[in-house]
Amino acid sequence: MVIVSVMALTASMLAGCGGGGTGTAQEPDNGSQAGVTTLRFATWDTGDALKIEQDIAKKFEESHPGTKVQVEAYADGFDQKLAAGFGAANPPDVMYMWDFPTYHQSLEPLDDYASKDKDLNIDDFYQGLFNYGKIGDKLYGIPAGFTTRVVYYNKKLFDEAGIAYPNDGWTWTDFQDIAKRLTDPSKKQYGFGVRAENDTYDLQGLVWSNGGSFISEDGTTIEGYMNSKETAEAIQMLGDMLKNGTAVLAGGKGQQSGEDIFKAGKIAMWESGIWPLESFREAGIDVGTVEMPAFPGKPVKGVLAESALSIAKDSKHKDLAWEFIKFYVSDEAIKMRVADLPVRASVVNELKKDQDPLYKPYYTMLERSDNTPAFLLNPKWNEVNRQLSAAVESVMFGSDAQEALNQAVKDSERYLK
Amino acid sequence: MARINVLNPQRQTAAPKRLGRKRWGGAAPYLFIFPWIFGFLVFTLGPLLFSLVISFFDWPIVGQVTFVGFDNYVEMFSDDPLFWKSLMITLKFAALFVPLNIIVALGLAMLLNQKVKGSAFFRTAFYLPSVISGVALAMIWSWVYSGDYGILNYFLSVFGIEGPDWLNDTKWSLVAMVIASLWGQGSMMLIFLAGLKGIPKDLYESASIDGAGKIRQFFNVTVPMITPTLLFNLITSIIAAFQQLTLALLLTGGGPLKSTFFYAMYMYENAFKYFKMGYSAANAWFMFLIVLTLTFLVFKSSEAWVFYEGEMKKAKPKHVKRRAAGREGH
Repeated sequence: MVIVSVMALTASMLAGCGGGGTGTAQEPDNGSQAGVTTLRFATWDTGDALKIEQDIAKKFEESHPGTKVQVEAYADGFDQKLAAGFGAANPPDVMYMWDFPTYHQSLEPLDDYASKDKDLNIDDFYQGLFNYGKIGDKLYGIPAGFTTRVVYYNKKLFDEAGIAYPNDGWTWTDFQDIAKRLTDPSKKQYGFGVRAENDTYDLQGLVWSNGGSFISEDGTTIEGYMNSKETAEAIQMLGDMLKNGTAVLAGGKGQQSGEDIFKAGKIAMWESGIWPLESFREAGIDVGTVEMPAFPGKPVKGVLAESALSIAKDSKHKDLAWEFIKFYVSDEAIKMRVADLPVRASVVNELKKDQDPLYKPYYTMLERSDNTPAFLLNPKWNEVNRQLSAAVESVMFGSDAQEALNQAVKDSERYLK
Repeated sequence: MARINVLNPQRQTAAPKRLGRKRWGGAAPYLFIFPWIFGFLVFTLGPLLFSLVISFFDWPIVGQVTFVGFDNYVEMFSDDPLFWKSLMITLKFAALFVPLNIIVALGLAMLLNQKVKGSAFFRTAFYLPSVISGVALAMIWSWVYSGDYGILNYFLSVFGIEGPDWLNDTKWSLVAMVIASLWGQGSMMLIFLAGLKGIPKDLYESASIDGAGKIRQFFNVTVPMITPTLLFNLITSIIAAFQQLTLALLLTGGGPLKSTFFYAMYMYENAFKYFKMGYSAANAWFMFLIVLTLTFLVFKSSEAWVFYEGEMKKAKPKHVKRRAAGREGH
């Protein structure tokens, strides 16, 4: 409350400056010309998602006179630009963040803000989301959006082939059987699409579902984990589907993305987060969603992709930055962001998202996403991942998963000494 | 004698005013080039030396900087399979690119050297790709190479050949890179063209009088006469081959399966993806050493095969006589 009232005071002072233009005595310590404070907000989003974020920034400016939110869209160059900003001690005030192990030293711990500010209503968040923004005991990011991964299917293709829509509780055996029946090389139609360049992060759900993992739970060992039989089996399955022609490689250089092929009705099933849902509907695809299949006799596990908001340690407007974050995760702003799943249970209940059959699988998968992803377990994970990514890619191009993963483990050992 | 005057115009005339000139006139030229000198020192030499310094540090952008001595260099050689892999790929690329680049550029220059109608148009057309930025070129090539919709495979299909998926096939990706790289040879072609234009016509005339055919003329007149140009182009080609990055980055991203993962890209990723500035600087300095060595070797060998007309000075009178003889013949 204290912060809020201070903010209100500052805001009115700023407004006074702007109106009178003579307020020399009340010059705010952080203000720039004409008494307008510029808050820099860095995002990796582009296109529609960026548009929404700019709208949110405008809304924030309306309720905070004298503030200008400068939305900086770094897109693909996010890491480079952010690192350069930190390196030059000139980072954006607020930024999207997911790679906390890499950046936490440059971020402001938010525990104090979060616990003192009742307006945040922290209990309303899905609590599991906070684990991703913690390093040690400190919280560095407030969850802003998340998604789990589900299987999308094209109902029309299922209807034409007379195949029943898949249901929660289905297995990879069912999945492969359906993929086979929906493959028709003469029409260049395939049951499933596999990415040429997988993000190993996304594959973790698949690997965990088969009882494997990339790294031991204490984060020290990869031998016997990254190259375990279970891990190799899970990755090999994708390679095998490409080999037997029931899946098509998507998103390689100069190739169509899996989303585009799905929209063209040439693949029956596609696996992804919530991002493409809206565009599938816009493309007129009668799309269904279902939770990820299980390996027979094993529980399904999911992986959570979360984006959080953080404040730079070097920021000169930390209180204002906090206000912005708070607004960004308010009911109002959350409802504006349709490409993310709401982080607040109250919004989900209000919109009845978890009742909607199209959205329900994401929440089913959320309950299954309690494993810790590898990058949070070892600070050198980025290096190890370089080898792992190469191995996974080679499996998609026909190599044997077990051999490729053995090699990746061998090449990675030097980072874990 | 005239030559001495050209080189030292003030030698005789300026002697009496030497003192004044030395104080102010001596500085004037440097003042004029000061903007360039400043830029060179601050933006070229400075960062260059700085990169040498940081190659002895563990230098992340975010976090602690620590001195590590030669560790970066040691790690590179003993502990990093990607280093060797990317180096081999670059060598392979250079082995394909350098000779082809020279042959194509020389071939085009020879074509343009013909006295035919429209040679000015072709000169512009062949040079045009060099004016286009590398990024735009990469975009165009990514369409050309597209497996399903690319114009190259369409062209091949007209002849009944089923083209590969160029950029997603490990066997063809490096070849695709070489072909796309050859597109930028416009400036080399121009340098060759200038070299060709500089060959006196009478050499060909006397050669043909001596009964040499076109092919003999090419190997015994053209090639020796343009060896200085060849030397220059050879060295710049080698350097270009080692520095190839734009196309790899945009066309293939180093893939598939790291088949086009050039050394420059390895360096780039270390610096701007993994933020290991010190390690990447060490990579860069090693590349500098390789290029330096290769350039040195080429220069050394050039004594054996490069022919400078200036070395023929002693024979000049003979040359003049022959020229006169040629005139009489007409």
